[in-house]
Amino acid sequence: MNELLTLMKSELVLTVLIFLLLFVKIGRGVRNEALLPIIQVLLLLNFIVGFFFNGEGSLFGGMFHTSSLIAFEKNILSLAVYLISLLFAGWLKKSQHMPEFFLLMITALLGMFLMISSGNLLMFYLSLELSTIPVAAMANFDLDKKRSSEGAMKMILSSAFSSGILLFGISLVYGATGTLAFAEIPAQLNGSPLQVLAFVFLFSAFAFKLSVVPFHLWAADVYEGSPIAVTAFLSVVSKASMAFILITVLYQVFKPLQSIWYNMLVLLAMATMVVGNLFALRQQNIKRLFAFSSIAQVGFVLVGISSNSTLGVASVVYFMLIYVFSAMAALGVAAVVSHHAGQENIDGYKGLYKNNKFLSWAMALALFSLAGIPPTAGFFGKLFLLAAGGERGAYWFITVAALNMIVSLYYYLRVVRAIFMDANEKPIDIIPLGNTERLGLVICGAGIILVGLAGGIFNFIQTLH
Amino acid sequence: MSIIEIFFWLLSGLAIFSAIMVLISKNPVHSVLWLIVVFFAISGHYILLNAQFLAIVNLIVYAGAIMVLFLFVIMLMNLNADADPQKNVWLKVIGIVTGGLLLTVLVSAVRSSNDLVNRSAELKTGSIGLIKSLGITLFNEYTVPFELSSILFLSAMVGAVVIGKKE
Repeated sequence: MNELLTLMKSELVLTVLIFLLLFVKIGRGVRNEALLPIIQVLLLLNFIVGFFFNGEGSLFGGMFHTSSLIAFEKNILSLAVYLISLLFAGWLKKSQHMPEFFLLMITALLGMFLMISSGNLLMFYLSLELSTIPVAAMANFDLDKKRSSEGAMKMILSSAFSSGILLFGISLVYGATGTLAFAEIPAQLNGSPLQVLAFVFLFSAFAFKLSVVPFHLWAADVYEGSPIAVTAFLSVVSKASMAFILITVLYQVFKPLQSIWYNMLVLLAMATMVVGNLFALRQQNIKRLFAFSSIAQVGFVLVGISSNSTLGVASVVYFMLIYVFSAMAALGVAAVVSHHAGQENIDGYKGLYKNNKFLSWAMALALFSLAGIPPTAGFFGKLFLLAAGGERGAYWFITVAALNMIVSLYYYLRVVRAIFMDANEKPIDIIPLGNTERLGLVICGAGIILVGLAGGIFNFIQTLH
Repeated sequence: MSIIEIFFWLLSGLAIFSAIMVLISKNPVHSVLWLIVVFFAISGHYILLNAQFLAIVNLIVYAGAIMVLFLFVIMLMNLNADADPQKNVWLKVIGIVTGGLLLTVLVSAVRSSNDLVNRSAELKTGSIGLIKSLGITLFNEYTVPFELSSILFLSAMVGAVVIGKKE
């Protein structure tokens, strides 16, 4: 009983939060302005609790397992959700269904926690669904906008399709190995064609959720149509959790097939980086720009994953921590500008610096970090990813990745140029910035600078296992 | 050839034939009706494998509930035989080529797998599909996924209510 409480602590906390929100909704209506600070404090508590009483071990016959690394990954996701509650406060306060929004988001987060901790393919599948279906409903939260419904519909259809492929892959794995438990599968793998086929199906489902290139077509439309808070959740939290479980699945479960998946990862990473970057070059809408840039970033993550070493794990977790700060800051500024000035095109950002100095600097810092320019943490994140990928000695592959970083500079800096240098006769007026948004942007900015400079963090992640 | 084998080939043929009919029927309602036949054939396979409970659940859930929903949706959308959205010939050609390639890969992967050579399904024996062993497994080994699915349904319900409730 004691073990259950400590090992499943983060999941139990989230379940309690879900039920609290349900009762808030059932009870007499509480105004959004009064409820939002309470939820923010609860999410902050959830983040802080993640650092204490972390145990290691497995429960329910290996169905659920946790370790110090998994606890750290969960902290990253909790932090991202806390930042969402801060940065998008303006939109959330006006939303008619704010309690439901948090209820669905926390349910999806619970699904991600269970997914990262799962030790069985059935458990993995159910928690993957739990982390997807609520997000599809969240994508439809701009109820009066057609594009929002379109995005939600595209997301639910493409995720249902990828679930079908995943289930087919899981059933083939079960047919070929006779077990669903992560711990027992590796011993049964011998590289027979059926097992390779099963693995390809399983991997395609991961590629769908991570929007790796041949499977990326849903991402841009969904990101553009949904509210920016949901875009942030999809492009940061959802992708980070998928990258974490992909590491477990590749490094532990399908370890015997590593020569096969290494080649797959190299091809997919190159295609993802190149296609994501080339499409991002042409975008005028800032949300679509971030959609394609997040596709390109996943390509870099795949470079890190391909190393198949502890350095690979550490570099991916470290990069995701930085990516949470940088992408959240960029999307947070985009949300404020879109909410108050109604601008979502890059041309609309021209001359933003004239009246909104704080927002401009926050956006610039976030974009520098996303592009990977040295003093910011994004540079160190990319550096470690490429260093990890280079361990296998495929230097031409790393060269392609490095060249892609240069291409990405163009479209990130185009936004910076529009904000600081382009002349505009009617620049956006002074945007009143709420305290919570300001606090969120300050946290993100501090994270972008400090995580890069404090080298101890990377070393600390490397000691986790 | 024993009676079970005769049933097996009969049901397999019926399943494949009606699955093809699902695809080539012009009228969506006919497609749904053929799909029900597919489910009946598959339920027959479950009975041959001595999994009565799965057979009945398959019938109740798929052939019963889900098919009724399907029919409702199709009738509400009022599709008719003329509504054929696929006009592009090249799209059809590409679809046939990729589908055929996938079929080739699937068949060759199954044929060249050593794991499956000389293995046959347990016919008429085995207790894995009986309601007793299913219940014991579900509430011992798979308690957590079982409970997890209840949260999944809760969240899906909340999401559906929010989307459906437009003031």
